[in-house]
Amino acid sequence: MLMLIQNEWMKIFRRPGTLVMVGLLLLMVMITGSVIKYQQNQTTVQKQINWKADLQQQVDQSKQQLEKVSKVRVPSIKRSIALNQYQIKHNLNPNQKYSMWDFVSDGSGLIQLAGLFTIIIAAGIVAQEFNWGTIKLLLIRPISRGRLLLSKYITTILFALTMLVILFIFSLITGYLLFGTPETVVPYLKYVNGKVAEQSMISHLVVFYGMRSVTMLMLSTMAFMISAVFRNSSLAIGISIFLMFTGSELTMLLASKFHWAKYILFANTDLSQYFDGVPMVEGMTFHFSLAMLVSYFIMFQVLAFAVFKKRDVAA
Amino acid sequence: MSAVVEIQNVTKKIKGKTIIDSLNFNVKKGEVFGFLGPNGAGKTTTIRMMVGLISITSGDIKISGYSIKKDFEKAISQVGGIVENPEMYKFLTGYQNLLHYARMSKGIKQTQIQEAVRLVGLSERIHDKVKTYSLGMRQRLGLAQALLHDPKVLILDEPTNGLDPAGIREMRDHLRMLAKERDMAVIVSSHLLSEMEMMCDRIGIIQRGKLIDVQLVNDFVNGPEKFIEIKVSPREAAIKLLKHHFPEIKVQVREKGIIIPLSKEQVPLLVREMVIANIDIFNVREQSRTLEDRFLEVTEKKGEALYAYADTK
Repeated sequence: MLMLIQNEWMKIFRRPGTLVMVGLLLLMVMITGSVIKYQQNQTTVQKQINWKADLQQQVDQSKQQLEKVSKVRVPSIKRSIALNQYQIKHNLNPNQKYSMWDFVSDGSGLIQLAGLFTIIIAAGIVAQEFNWGTIKLLLIRPISRGRLLLSKYITTILFALTMLVILFIFSLITGYLLFGTPETVVPYLKYVNGKVAEQSMISHLVVFYGMRSVTMLMLSTMAFMISAVFRNSSLAIGISIFLMFTGSELTMLLASKFHWAKYILFANTDLSQYFDGVPMVEGMTFHFSLAMLVSYFIMFQVLAFAVFKKRDVAA
Repeated sequence: MSAVVEIQNVTKKIKGKTIIDSLNFNVKKGEVFGFLGPNGAGKTTTIRMMVGLISITSGDIKISGYSIKKDFEKAISQVGGIVENPEMYKFLTGYQNLLHYARMSKGIKQTQIQEAVRLVGLSERIHDKVKTYSLGMRQRLGLAQALLHDPKVLILDEPTNGLDPAGIREMRDHLRMLAKERDMAVIVSSHLLSEMEMMCDRIGIIQRGKLIDVQLVNDFVNGPEKFIEIKVSPREAAIKLLKHHFPEIKVQVREKGIIIPLSKEQVPLLVREMVIANIDIFNVREQSRTLEDRFLEVTEKKGEALYAYADTK
């Protein structure tokens, strides 16, 4: 199995396209960093002395709002009240200088880019073999089709991880060079079930990355499945990327009208909604989403393996 | 000699249509077996079933006694193959391509890769990218890939497709050498008859999914009886003489002579009689027929029979 993964790895990284992807990812981190740095130079952060009073004012405003706004917005307002009150109580000034941690957090938007590249790889890893005609030579080896496909899937996941690690580490380095470490160690405040808790920044970011990568994992798996079933990489890339950009918005739209929207994959991919916000559809729980994700995952895999194993490779 | 490849009653149906109809034949060690048939006869389908690319509807194919259906991994590890054009990863070097395939079989050492490279004569260019290779070189790399794990059976679908004459000759020499020196069973498919004639020991002819004949190349080309072409003058006298000796004989008349089916032993007798009868003989020769003539003859005849059969149904 290790040999097979080694083979797939070689086929991915010996292509110039892959190196361009890594290069683009690094470039985007640098550009993001530069833009933020540039904006900072124009606006200076004021360290307000009476920040507590300001926060208290915000809390009061929010409380007044609570009575007027629609039901949907209530939880998010409650959250901000709770966070503000916690900051006042524990003497945590929210107006900190922009640090490397903030940058890593802001830069996590680039996970979408890493996801995009992973989708491209996942979409091609089976379909390309058919396009190139190399599938014929691949399947006449003493290796079962199931193992071959599994090695390809594992390679895809390894590729995704590699992209994430590259992104994370490079963001840290860029953030450190441009913005430096924070002056005081500030914990991250999380809001779960109406309570506020402290968490160290690095562990928060790792979890944050993990959460944001769920969409990427599911979409890559879907692209992989389409690739194995239809042998068409453009189709796989097209559908996956379309859903990547529109999936959550569409689901959000549906969720406001229909209850069954909670069964849609994209209602469940954002797990951070259970830690840092409010569920998309009322009544959804973390375990429900987890179960949905696992079911979708199994469905994709079963489809991919069943079709790939039975396929007649003709012409 | 024992059979390494056994095709047992193999049938393939796709959407209710019978593509391959109960095929039966064996291929022995050390022989080059040609699989001949017009386009669309089912050559490629059969070959793909042999290497497990296409599933078998009923019947079985055994390689060294292992069923390709039930014991795929054991059966296929005895087989090296090129299915149609040898498509390689163009962005990798020749060596990386071979390394890639070597990793997929158990226990192939680096020396074995180098040996395969040497055998097909690619040592100088093996570390260049495949996209810079000519078609002939790609074909040779394809052969090296098939030989990596020292298989007992070599299966090649249209191995000379698109090669220039020198390339064809080279491929032919390689295959003959592998069959003779390494005692491999080599199966090639082609619709190029002249090619098969020079390359193969035995030929199986397939048409419309049915195997219609399996014969040694020599027997096949010559058929049961030989044709003798005689240039004579005067022609009419000769024909008269012939009819006298062989009343049943069919004589084909040519501009300067005649063509008659005759066994070798009868030739001297006929010549003697002609000389006595004062007929001038300019030339007597055995008409050698090419595989092509025979092939068309066989497929047409059997084809007609098949049509007739279908009509009565």
